[in-house]
Amino acid sequence: MHLFLLGVSHKTAPVDVRERLDFSSRDLGAAVEALATRPSAAESVVLSTCNRSEIYVASRDPSRAREDITGFLSEYHSLPPETFAPHLFSCGDEAAARHLFRVAAGLDSLVVGEPQILGQVKEAFQTAAERRCTGPMLSKLFHWSFGVGKRVRTETALGEGAVSMSFAAVALARKIFGRLDGRRALVVGAGEISTLTAEHLRTQGVGEIVITSRTPANAEALASEVGGRAVAWDEAISALATSDIVVTATGSQRPILTRAHVEATSGRRRPNPLFIIDLAVPRDVEASVGDIEQVFLYNVDDLQSIVQENLSRRTAEIAHAERIIAEELVKFATWQRSRSAVPTVVALRQRFDAIRRSELQRLDGKLSGLTPDARARVDEVTRLIVEKLLLEPTEQLKALPDEETQVAYTEAVNRLFRLRTGESTSDAVDAAAGTTRADQPHK
Amino acid sequence: MNLIPLVLYAAAAVVYAIHFAKRQPSVGRTATTLLLLAALAHTFVIGMQTMEVRHVPIANPSRAVSSFVWLLALSYLYLEMASDERAMGVFILPIAVGLQAIPAFSPGIENADPVLDSPWFWVHVASLLFAYASFALAAMLGLTYVLQFKEIKKKHLGYFYTRLPSLHILDAMNSRAVMVGWLFLTIGVVVGVVWMGQARALTPGNSNLQAMSLNYPKIFIALLTWGVYSFEVFARSTMGWTGRRAAWLSALGFAIVLLNFLPVSYFVTTSHTFQ
Repeated sequence: MHLFLLGVSHKTAPVDVRERLDFSSRDLGAAVEALATRPSAAESVVLSTCNRSEIYVASRDPSRAREDITGFLSEYHSLPPETFAPHLFSCGDEAAARHLFRVAAGLDSLVVGEPQILGQVKEAFQTAAERRCTGPMLSKLFHWSFGVGKRVRTETALGEGAVSMSFAAVALARKIFGRLDGRRALVVGAGEISTLTAEHLRTQGVGEIVITSRTPANAEALASEVGGRAVAWDEAISALATSDIVVTATGSQRPILTRAHVEATSGRRRPNPLFIIDLAVPRDVEASVGDIEQVFLYNVDDLQSIVQENLSRRTAEIAHAERIIAEELVKFATWQRSRSAVPTVVALRQRFDAIRRSELQRLDGKLSGLTPDARARVDEVTRLIVEKLLLEPTEQLKALPDEETQVAYTEAVNRLFRLRTGESTSDAVDAAAGTTRADQPHK
Repeated sequence: MNLIPLVLYAAAAVVYAIHFAKRQPSVGRTATTLLLLAALAHTFVIGMQTMEVRHVPIANPSRAVSSFVWLLALSYLYLEMASDERAMGVFILPIAVGLQAIPAFSPGIENADPVLDSPWFWVHVASLLFAYASFALAAMLGLTYVLQFKEIKKKHLGYFYTRLPSLHILDAMNSRAVMVGWLFLTIGVVVGVVWMGQARALTPGNSNLQAMSLNYPKIFIALLTWGVYSFEVFARSTMGWTGRRAAWLSALGFAIVLLNFLPVSYFVTTSHTFQ
């Protein structure tokens, strides 16, 4: 059984191609089921996000898989293959495992280290597993990738630090205020930036949002949109006194919030810090406001430089994450090799058990004097002897260090015991592999 | 005997530092486990000494330091469990290690003057030690508040920003630690005065007791401490002195406490030690 991966991602295909091959907006479960009927897809998982549509299969005949899956994509999306085939990328076995590990770790994402992707990988696997489209191979691979994603998140700083201005602003607010629920925000201006910011604050749990604008109608409209309260322009200063967070984004050419304004309200608000986010260019807030004790003033450039710093810090962590992935890949490859020993192991066990049974049968007459209890014990003892004889060779066979030695050893065992291993035993093989899954170290 | 807790505190300090730098949860759990072990060993040591001298070993300055470290460790563990924040450990443990070195290397003999054999005295010392432990926590919370405040204010979000809890939490915890400390300090001082009055009447010949007055360095500094913390409590509630100002006051208060606790006990005072 081999791994095979075929798909498009933001690295190989423009957005219009990705859109046409997208599964996430359609019924993903049905898609996996349709895929599973293909002969080269013994096991299958479809991972589809806005940045990628990737199909993972475990196949006995990987040489046919590419053509087969391309056919599936073409049929399912009703697209002629030539419209998307040039954008497809594919890889097999270890390279496919490496790709999934990198995806789960967030290394292949548009914004490196973004956290959603691990959840999406889990969901993709879950959907396929619910439809019984997965088996021991993909199940192992995906569970392993969850472990890799988790390891990268806890052992590196790859996902740390906000990488967009609005998240950077919210992260700062949390560092100042702790929890944001129950906090009051004042939004000055009702343009596009203000709308986005107000919505973001609302989703972050800010208690009350007060909106003001020179055009009262705009303030009213935005207030009803985000569930805030509109106040008149002249009342903005008194609203300032009861606010914890102030966002300004007006088109004014001159500062609208001066040091005198803030100081005038400081008598009423003194013990509480004030976080001012000035998103306007030219700036809405006088720079000297930031000198007031307990006032934290951030403008667009400040937030942008935080974002830049976080991005470069993430980039610096990539090497660390790649090392973790390389480590895990070695372990995964060992597991995969141990699987190729499984047919031999199964055949060996069957051979030994057959000998045991036939010997017991031969002695049937001599054993007839025994009580049923004693006979059961004889059966048990012989079974245990066989188990113990086979335990060590089985372990050794599964733990061989490389592919070449593996082939040589299994071949030797096959010949020594005249074993015949082939497709006929593959179901038993899968079952055996499934039962050994829990013994494999995951980390 | 105090050496074993010292070694464990030192080990915990190192692991807390590693956790602060690397931020790995498993390292953090190891640090807490080590500190728990240290506190347990320390409890055992103090328990043994209590059985030996039949009272809590706090009459001798060196043993009082040991008891202070023990209370500090317990208060910090409480803070860590209540807030689920481990970042403060790296600031608290060095104090514990530094102070625990005193009883570990110069144990001193708990040979109390019979005049101290009064429940008032034990309440007096125990309250003060607990107050000082709270003030140590408050000072470290204040220090970390200032470090993080600076980073946010100057817009250089760096080392501390990614590691410390929010300013709000640091300030709230500082406020609580100062409040608890101030309460026990007040109890300790009041009980001390009451006990002194009683003891003076009972043992008129004790020169130590007769010499006690406001001019007396240890008492003077204790009252100064009380003044600083009373002001902090008052200023926070009525003048809005929170955040950085409260943080600096906590640091100032604890500096005075340390001054009173160490050099004054060991070198200046001749009579607030009853041996």
